[in-house]
Amino acid sequence: MTDILKFSIPGKPEYVGTVRLAVSSLANCAGFDIEAVEDIKVAVSEACTNVVCHGKSNRDDCYEVACEISEERIIILVIDRAGGYDMSQYQRPVMDNPKEGGLGIFIIKALMDEVDIFSELGMGTSIKMVKYLNRL
Amino acid sequence: MSLKIQSNFNDEGNQWEIKAIGDVDISTAPKLRDCLDAALQDKKANIVLHLEELNYIDSTGLGVIIGTMGKMKEYENQIMLVNPKENIKKLLNITSLDRILCPKI
Repeated sequence: MTDILKFSIPGKPEYVGTVRLAVSSLANCAGFDIEAVEDIKVAVSEACTNVVCHGKSNRDDCYEVACEISEERIIILVIDRAGGYDMSQYQRPVMDNPKEGGLGIFIIKALMDEVDIFSELGMGTSIKMVKYLNRL
Repeated sequence: MSLKIQSNFNDEGNQWEIKAIGDVDISTAPKLRDCLDAALQDKKANIVLHLEELNYIDSTGLGVIIGTMGKMKEYENQIMLVNPKENIKKLLNITSLDRILCPKI
């Protein structure tokens, strides 16, 4: 059985914490252990922060967080219409000389089992993150 | 989601002892930045950031710490993180920031 939950959130910093709490509660109910819940919480929060920080749209515009929960995994999609960005410009952070920005995507990729990012300049971005239950 | 910060200058150790309590994310990171900036403006010295009551930090919070570290380099001062919880330790580890920021882990 698969359940899908969708949230629509104004692109303001103060609501990122609300998404974080909602999604971690969902992951907890779905049976993920504490460490996995924490990973999902951080990854979703980073994806939302990306929208709020880098989006070019009005902060009153909403972005969408969709969670698909099944017995073996959780899929989380964070979709915005905030202008998109050129993925080829993304640079993996160099940790011997860390910079203030650019850590978000790196962290998401480190914490989730699968991550796909689609971005179209002038349109928006969607980040798809998957975490499997009981994956060793 | 809130962040409380206690900031004290330790005359004996000649360093700032700053304690972050709660969550640092995109909405509270500016508060952390303001506090660290204010401390350094008041007195240029090393900063020890106590994290035992910090429940959550994200890339914006880590970015603030990296930015502060950069500003402090000019004066040869350092920022050091102590007593992070397991979840925060994991984040510091995957970003390799523990190597530069946490000498005691």
